[in-house]
Amino acid sequence: MKLTADGVSWQAGATLIVQSVSLAVGAGETFGLVGPNGSGKSTLLKMLAGIRAPSSGRILLGDEPIGAISRRRVAQTIALVEQLADTIDRITVRDAVELGRTPWLSALSPWSVRDEEAVADALRAVGMERLATRSWHTLSGGERQRVHIARALAQEPSILILDEPTNHLDIHHQLSILALIARLPVTTIVALHDLNQAMACDRVGIMDGGRLVAVGPPREVLSTERIETTFAVRATICVDPSDGAHLLRFHGTP
Amino acid sequence: MRRGWRWGWIAPPVLLIAFVAGASIGETPIPAHTVLTVLANKLFGAAFAVDRIDAGIVWNYRLSRAVVAACCGAGLALAGVVLQALLRNALADPYLLGISAGASTGAVAVAVAGVGGGMVSLSAGAFIGAAAAFVLVAALARAAGGGAGVQAAGVIVLAGIAGSQLFNALTTFVIAKSANAEQARGIMFWLLGNLSGVRWPDAWLAVPAALLAVAVCIYHIRTLDAFTFGADSAASLGIAVRRCQALLIGVTALVTAIMVSLVGSIGFVGLVIPHAMRFVVGVRHGLLVPASALAGAVFLIASDIISRIVIPGQVLPIGVITALVGAPVFALILVRGRAGR
Ligand SMILES: Nc1ncnc2c1ncn2[C@@H]1O[C@H](COP(=O)(O)OP(=O)(O)OP(=O)(O)O)[C@@H](O)[C@H]1O
Ligand SMILES: [Mg+2]
Repeated sequence: MKLTADGVSWQAGATLIVQSVSLAVGAGETFGLVGPNGSGKSTLLKMLAGIRAPSSGRILLGDEPIGAISRRRVAQTIALVEQLADTIDRITVRDAVELGRTPWLSALSPWSVRDEEAVADALRAVGMERLATRSWHTLSGGERQRVHIARALAQEPSILILDEPTNHLDIHHQLSILALIARLPVTTIVALHDLNQAMACDRVGIMDGGRLVAVGPPREVLSTERIETTFAVRATICVDPSDGAHLLRFHGTP
Repeated sequence: MRRGWRWGWIAPPVLLIAFVAGASIGETPIPAHTVLTVLANKLFGAAFAVDRIDAGIVWNYRLSRAVVAACCGAGLALAGVVLQALLRNALADPYLLGISAGASTGAVAVAVAGVGGGMVSLSAGAFIGAAAAFVLVAALARAAGGGAGVQAAGVIVLAGIAGSQLFNALTTFVIAKSANAEQARGIMFWLLGNLSGVRWPDAWLAVPAALLAVAVCIYHIRTLDAFTFGADSAASLGIAVRRCQALLIGVTALVTAIMVSLVGSIGFVGLVIPHAMRFVVGVRHGLLVPASALAGAVFLIASDIISRIVIPGQVLPIGVITALVGAPVFALILVRGRAGR
């Protein structure tokens, strides 16, 4: 399903955190969002997920303004993995993943075998099935991140929004999560800090100071000039002789 | 939720035992079979022979009292469950957050100072006070940088202390200004939580209030679960956060207010019971809600019994008993909260 931002802004007090961002992400696309700390990525993602109302502009899910759709129906379509979501409750891994079924349950459709399967599939997809009975508080940072992703998968969304999903993950799990996301037949919007990971997206958008300053295919958008102006680092592009892929190598400014 | 209902059969026998204990233990002990006989006569129209005075004590005094105690216990325990889930704070409780203090102020203002000119009932006055206290404390905690986590837990308790102090001061002021000495003494005793004056008409307010709390919480079991990772996460799981918060906290304030207007402010029930039940049944609300309601009911009946027998010939305010249990639990939560992170 298509998700569109139409000139959205968000302000805290008098400060504009996100400034008139327009963006359309098509069905099945993997869209990467990069930008320095505090550039407004998480804020934009929350607006796209419909849990933060823009102070101006609007978000369209399909053709409907997201604010006009019930929360429950939005949650049946869009799942969000937040950047830092923690809990004081002593829940287990399975409990956390089962929360993903919330938008599909009601008094008339109680918990069923179908939900059980969705939870089991989600746990398997992130390789956490053996830790299903472990307590949340005993998990490492990367394991928690994988549980959050499993919860989003259990939601069976057609649009998946992920805020820095590879944070805390070891290199093996970074690659397997990114491969999983690429494999899923859903629209994905993902905030990333690793620009080389962003290279694997269909399209990339660059946030800088609350504005979306560039959008397009990664090789065009992630140019050395753009990286230097936005991130204040010098980059050189290397080519992997094994497959011709472009790699970025960074040099700190002295 | 799918695991919960098979334990449902526990509730009726446990409640029955608690009611029978509540009706038989006291200054004049009355054997359990007499209590059961009275119950059979009153509820099922049986005509067993029973001593008239015993029957009067059991039915008119002790059972009505046990019923109101059970309702207050269930209502206050669920108020704690709701506040802890929605505020993401282990120390949230209607008493610690000043909601009970606000309700007391409202009730006293109506009862003593005649605010509303007889047009508002005691409970309505208490509700207005409770709601005002919650709004004030929430705003204060927010301004002081609330949120989730250990530090926020501290902030909200501090805000609660400030709120409680303010409303207690207002209550004292209203009493000093409008009540005569005898009224003042009665009110002070009532403020500490006291079931001595409770009769059947009080139960007709307490029972619907407790049932309302149970029904609303059970209907919102998944909503309460969805707040596990905070309000944003709940929203992304399809919960209409604002509406659910308003409804659940509104019902919490209403139920607390009704209980306070009946028996005064009884502290720590909303803190002790949910935490104890998390140890027994876990944190998922499918079990936590019914277990807390039941345990709260039993806990207050037991506290009431203890308050009647611990000093012979004298009735201790029930709030003293719950505080004697609750304060150490409060300390334990503080210590564990630190060690856990
Ligand atoms: N509720 C708020 N009130 C005030 N300022 C806020 C609020 N939420 C976010 N901000 C500010 O808005 C800016 C953008 O925040 P945001 O979390 O969107 O950045 P980000 O691009 O996700 O950064 P990071 O890479 O560190 O995750 C930050 O400077 C942040 O301090
Ligand atoms: Mg962010």
